[in-house]
Amino acid sequence: MSSAQLQSHPIPIGMPTAPSFVGGIARFARREFRDALASKWFILYTMAFTVLAVGVSFLSLSGVGSHGFAGFGRTAAGLLNLIMLVVPLMALTAGAGSIAGERERGTLLYMLSQPVSRSQVLLGKYFGLAVALICSLCIGFGISAGVLAWRAGGAGVFDFLMLIGLTALLAIAMLSVGFLISVVSRRTSVATGVALFVWLTLVFVSDLGLMASSVIFKLHVQEIFGLASINPLQCFKMAVIVSMNASLDVLGPVGAYASQTLGSALPWVLVSTLIAWTIAPLGVAIFLFTRRGTV
Amino acid sequence: MARTLGTILTAMLIWTAVETRCEQHSDPKPIAVITEMISNADAGTIIRVPAGVYEGNLVVRKPVVLDGSDGAVLDGLGRGTVIEVLADGVVIRHCTVRNSGLDVTGEPAAIRVIAADVVIESNNISESLFGIDLRESPNAIIRSNKIECIDLEPGRRGDGIRLWWSHGCLVEGNVVHNSRDMVFWYSEDLRIRGNTVMGSRYGLHFMYSHGSVLEQNDLLNNSVGVYLMYSNGITLRENRMSNNRGASGYGIGLKDCDDITITGNALLANRVGVYIDNSPSSVGSKGLFESNLIAFNEIGLLATPNTHDNVFTNNAFIENEEPAATHGRGRLVNNTFAREGVGNYWSDYAGFDLDGNGIGDVVYEPQSLFGAMLANEPNLRLFVHSPAQRAIEFTSRALPELRPQSTLVDPSPLASPPEIRLDMAAKGRQVGSMLMLAVSMLAIAAGVIVYTIVEPRLGAAPRGDRS
Repeated sequence: MSSAQLQSHPIPIGMPTAPSFVGGIARFARREFRDALASKWFILYTMAFTVLAVGVSFLSLSGVGSHGFAGFGRTAAGLLNLIMLVVPLMALTAGAGSIAGERERGTLLYMLSQPVSRSQVLLGKYFGLAVALICSLCIGFGISAGVLAWRAGGAGVFDFLMLIGLTALLAIAMLSVGFLISVVSRRTSVATGVALFVWLTLVFVSDLGLMASSVIFKLHVQEIFGLASINPLQCFKMAVIVSMNASLDVLGPVGAYASQTLGSALPWVLVSTLIAWTIAPLGVAIFLFTRRGTV
Repeated sequence: MARTLGTILTAMLIWTAVETRCEQHSDPKPIAVITEMISNADAGTIIRVPAGVYEGNLVVRKPVVLDGSDGAVLDGLGRGTVIEVLADGVVIRHCTVRNSGLDVTGEPAAIRVIAADVVIESNNISESLFGIDLRESPNAIIRSNKIECIDLEPGRRGDGIRLWWSHGCLVEGNVVHNSRDMVFWYSEDLRIRGNTVMGSRYGLHFMYSHGSVLEQNDLLNNSVGVYLMYSNGITLRENRMSNNRGASGYGIGLKDCDDITITGNALLANRVGVYIDNSPSSVGSKGLFESNLIAFNEIGLLATPNTHDNVFTNNAFIENEEPAATHGRGRLVNNTFAREGVGNYWSDYAGFDLDGNGIGDVVYEPQSLFGAMLANEPNLRLFVHSPAQRAIEFTSRALPELRPQSTLVDPSPLASPPEIRLDMAAKGRQVGSMLMLAVSMLAIAAGVIVYTIVEPRLGAAPRGDRS
């Protein structure tokens, strides 16, 4: 560990006294955020997400803009697919690299020698990355909102706002999962590999598997809905559709069942599942991180 | 029993509410005042009813013009039909009519007509079971009325406008909210033009009503936009059906209708754009769909497998989740998807137009594996809009043996969407709010980034946090 490397990571060194719990978290969060801004992944993901989001907005509006019917609804369907692919990938890999990366570089030991608790370090890193991710999403959504305003007018601002909010929630939920992976992995490469595997599972494998099993085992609608809503990505998708249509009838019998049985509680059920996906993995990560003696 | 009690209670509640209101406005007069005016007037006189609330049930037996533009309010007090017109040539205009009865068995209406050549114009109807009900009343004009039915569950509501055995009527520029249907039974040669129906069950519902023209109607947020049943020779022109998404959720539904012409309509964001059930049903008759915009629906065109002899030309099928599907097994091959070398525009068409004549050089054959799976397993619709759906479509493109049979063949698909003009007020473009959102999103990101970069230089240095 050279001193030059330390300088490049402005860790709050030389604290006169131990900061308060929140203060400690805030210091680490700021440091993490500054590191993220300087890192390649942040810039790369932001650029990729922005380009794709703007591209989807453009494509979904072409051909129908002249009719004056194009609103946000159609763009949303395109964006939904893009978000479900890209955002979990961003968040999972960013989270997976966090603790494991510090551990591999040896900086983790240095951070833990500060007069702060382990949970403060973890939470600080978590909030820093969460803010970085949300900033990255804001840039992408902001530019595509500009495209929509230019090409299609202002229809559906509220829907778009809801989409942004839910995407942010999805991002921090996936970041939590990434942190859990990072805490249990010794090396960055392992953590990233596991993160990619989890991503693949959530995006493709679980949906395809559920499709196959619903056909083979003739699952009932309530079973399909129950199983599907375990997946945070399906939850996110359903929540976005509910926020725009007030009902899940777009999703066929299963959606109609969910709308009818849960009624007005449906969006809250979906959002709380996403929140559970945020809190539970992070809680487990903190528990494991504070318990484990190894660095 | 409980229902009767409920009805009585509701009626009493409404009555009390009305009474309270009338006390505030003072002087509610009995409807007999108007009855007396009519009986004193000669046939054909214009009676300007003075302002005020008139309570009770009115029966008009003389051809007079009843003009309520001074602010006449006719209140049925929740009992029976408010105005009953029994004389030919009566005109009722600018009246506010409210509080018909609620009991479905008597079919109480705000205005009921059993007479010819009646004009019902610019009335404001509210809190009634049925709005305007015409029985055996030919050549009536129903124009520019505003009708708001009582918001019961859809099956128990009354019809906003109903025509029964009333030929040659003009229904124009009415606005109907929360009704059951705007329904036309056994009534021929109608002109239904420029009406708006919202939040109802069926926007326009035709039963055994032949030879009518429906144009420039706006049907939105209903269960079904237009449902034509057993009615022949109907023209639908330049209507807009949007966001009709009830249990069936059709923009246009056709059941056993011959010689239907559907041109220049916009069918947007319905559950199903066009639904065809055995139409045309007679041998030798045809259905024509020309220059319609069918966009953003879950299914653009849905037809039962026995559907035949429909011609689709110059329509734009844009961004429907499924462009066309069969209701059940089978294909739509007994219909024609091009006329004289002009097919339709399909936004998912992947072909090309090398010679630049506007017609794609490869036939359009939708082969969606996911769509085929949905036809057999409707539960799988849960997985639309997800990367898994894309993965399945990609697989079927990569492995030809997985490709399902196409539902239809368009031999000459259009390379670009036809210009479809709707003479309707376009929605205002409120660019401002979305632009504001764009700016604020970027501002948040920029703000946070700048703050984090600048902050330690401002605050931390004096505290000696940095070495």
